[in-house]
Amino acid sequence: MAMKALDIYKLLPKTNCKRCGYPTCLAFAMKLAAGKAEVEACPDLDPGTKALLGGATRPPVRLVGVGVGERSVAAGEEFVLFRHEKTFSHPPGIMVQVSDTWPEERVRSIVETVRETVVHRVGMDLVLTGVAVRNESRSPGRFAEAVALAGGGSTLPLVLIAGDLAAHEAALAVAGHYRPLVHAATEENREDLARLAKRYGCPLAVRAASPAGLAALTAECAAAGVVDLMLDPAPRSLQDYIAMATGIRKAAIGRTEPALGYPIYFDTTPFRETDAALAAGILKYAGVIVVPPLPPATVAAGLTLRQNIYTDPQKPIQVTPGLYPVNEPGRDAPVLLTVNFSLTYFTLLGYLEASRIPCYLLIVDTEGLSVLTAVAGGKLTETLVADSLRNFGVGETVDHRLLVIPGYAAPLSGKIEDATGWKVMVGPRDAAELAGYLEKEWRA
Amino acid sequence: MTDSSEPGPAVREVRLGATRAEGGTREVSYVIGGDRGLPFTGNRPDRLLVALEVCDDPQFSPPVVRDYVGDLANNPDEWARAAERTYGADIIRLNFTSTKQRGFDAFSEIAPTMERVLAATARPLIVEGSSEPELDSEVFRRCGEAGEGERLLLGTAEADRYRSVAAAALAYDHAVIAQSPIDINLAKQLNILLRETGIPGDRIVIDPYTGALGYGFEYSYSVMERIRLAALAGDADLAMPVISAPADTLTVREVREATPAEQDAIAVAWEFYTAYASFVAGASIVCVRHPLTVKRLHEALEV
Repeated sequence: MAMKALDIYKLLPKTNCKRCGYPTCLAFAMKLAAGKAEVEACPDLDPGTKALLGGATRPPVRLVGVGVGERSVAAGEEFVLFRHEKTFSHPPGIMVQVSDTWPEERVRSIVETVRETVVHRVGMDLVLTGVAVRNESRSPGRFAEAVALAGGGSTLPLVLIAGDLAAHEAALAVAGHYRPLVHAATEENREDLARLAKRYGCPLAVRAASPAGLAALTAECAAAGVVDLMLDPAPRSLQDYIAMATGIRKAAIGRTEPALGYPIYFDTTPFRETDAALAAGILKYAGVIVVPPLPPATVAAGLTLRQNIYTDPQKPIQVTPGLYPVNEPGRDAPVLLTVNFSLTYFTLLGYLEASRIPCYLLIVDTEGLSVLTAVAGGKLTETLVADSLRNFGVGETVDHRLLVIPGYAAPLSGKIEDATGWKVMVGPRDAAELAGYLEKEWRA
Repeated sequence: MTDSSEPGPAVREVRLGATRAEGGTREVSYVIGGDRGLPFTGNRPDRLLVALEVCDDPQFSPPVVRDYVGDLANNPDEWARAAERTYGADIIRLNFTSTKQRGFDAFSEIAPTMERVLAATARPLIVEGSSEPELDSEVFRRCGEAGEGERLLLGTAEADRYRSVAAAALAYDHAVIAQSPIDINLAKQLNILLRETGIPGDRIVIDPYTGALGYGFEYSYSVMERIRLAALAGDADLAMPVISAPADTLTVREVREATPAEQDAIAVAWEFYTAYASFVAGASIVCVRHPLTVKRLHEALEV
């Protein structure tokens, strides 16, 4: 089990010698507890203590990198089963598959699409991760050529999928310096493939249809000197994948089976339902997901789901408070009060933009709470509204003194009128009804 | 002696719909819930239902849905028939969107609409009655009465307006959707309030509110996971099946701004990812609005 910082601290020399790179032993202990430091950094620990601390403080899922440079991806270093416990830290790499039997132009165009696709969302650019090259030609030479066509790993991270050792040798001669993920070591070829992965310093996926089989393979590969490993549970169905992945993550974070403490590799291509498989991989613990070439709608929705699931669950997503013009409002446009919970803001904005009604959104700072919770919790108050009207210069922006408040804030209407001198109109509770409400009720 | 070590289900079972043998007119009825483990982990059952929304007033349906269903939108009964037979919905979600109109007073239309829709489909119904607190008592009573014996899933109860829907459910023997704003504690409180009105726990379905993908969906996802975990940990006040209705999904910017050629694909992708993820988080029923999403979900649940 994981150890707390104070328990770790008791085992440290308490000399504050700083040679580990941290100012005090306690600071080092806290980093160790968070899985952010290596126990080896302390020069004064005896081997027994090191082994004890190492086992307890190492991230339960090893961080494994694929590729080099800007587009490289790292998976693992996860500590929990559910995202509400702690942020999932490393979003899975999404690798688009090409085959070495496909025409050159098709491979080129898919690689180009992977490289260029960007989905812009709330200030972030979401991208696909890399390319998975599959050896279906039975020819090592053609496999190596397809790997070269995919950039050889120098621009986009690669997965090399082949059952044949000669194919991997040929491909690694091209791409071996760019840390491609080698797939896959199995019961049959594990020794040869581990030797090859070790020679090039590449991460290696192991494939077996049971957790016990996977654990046996990782133990052998680790003993052979390859420690950057991923687990391919070879699922028979999506439900099987979810059940297997959940079991593997549980065993890893509970540290009941350290040999399963590696990121999961999930190949969606055997399943006709690509969207469901991609979603399952994102939701349930995959570190690398191999997909067929994706239509734009799938890319947008899939990358958005990945972004959603890997956001910090503790911190409410907030919008900066202020006065936001919507649909080019004039001086007689309505002013609509709402909170800075981004879900509220985006939902409201969506309906207002669709309605094409010019208006101002007055976003007040409720620390990211929704209207209902902010009213109930006393975060949305007449004082806050008065301060916001003043600070954001609302009175100077519009000629009227009418404020539309959310339906859920109706209990505050009198107090807001008293505190601000503005006349309050109580709007609907549902954003979908706002456009209809404004059309009927708004007269500046 | 019987084996008493077998643990009971963590999530309570809720029956929806009533066959003739059960006092109704449906060809099928469903039992949802009964789960003993995490979703999709092989610990049967995951009895999952896909609901398709039918509106009595189509102006509150998203444009992409109106475009797709065409004339069906003007006839809730035809729409419901297609929802079952053409699109393959397990359960029909009849939404009385007409009550969103200001000054709504067409109370006398509710029972005939209910009757036509019940006659048009043999599937169980989810009925979203009133969307205005002032209308609640009258609308829910009429919905409940018109569906007596059919074991509707009647919605929506919220913390500050649950009495009317609860009264209708009690009087006419229906189940209730209990909606709370993405907050596990508020979900629990509302279930306690409903229990105090006399609604038994096996007639409550939790709606934790589902934000759209990209617009806060992750909060809903985590609340659904936490509700299942609470049920597994033995919290009886959260041990009800969950319904997820990502209603805002088809009005997000990505869908609105899609070109006509891409619009259905984007809408279905957006709705599918939200709906499928809700199932993975533990929802027993997911309500969608685009007809094409229904089949996609069924196919995904089979693999």
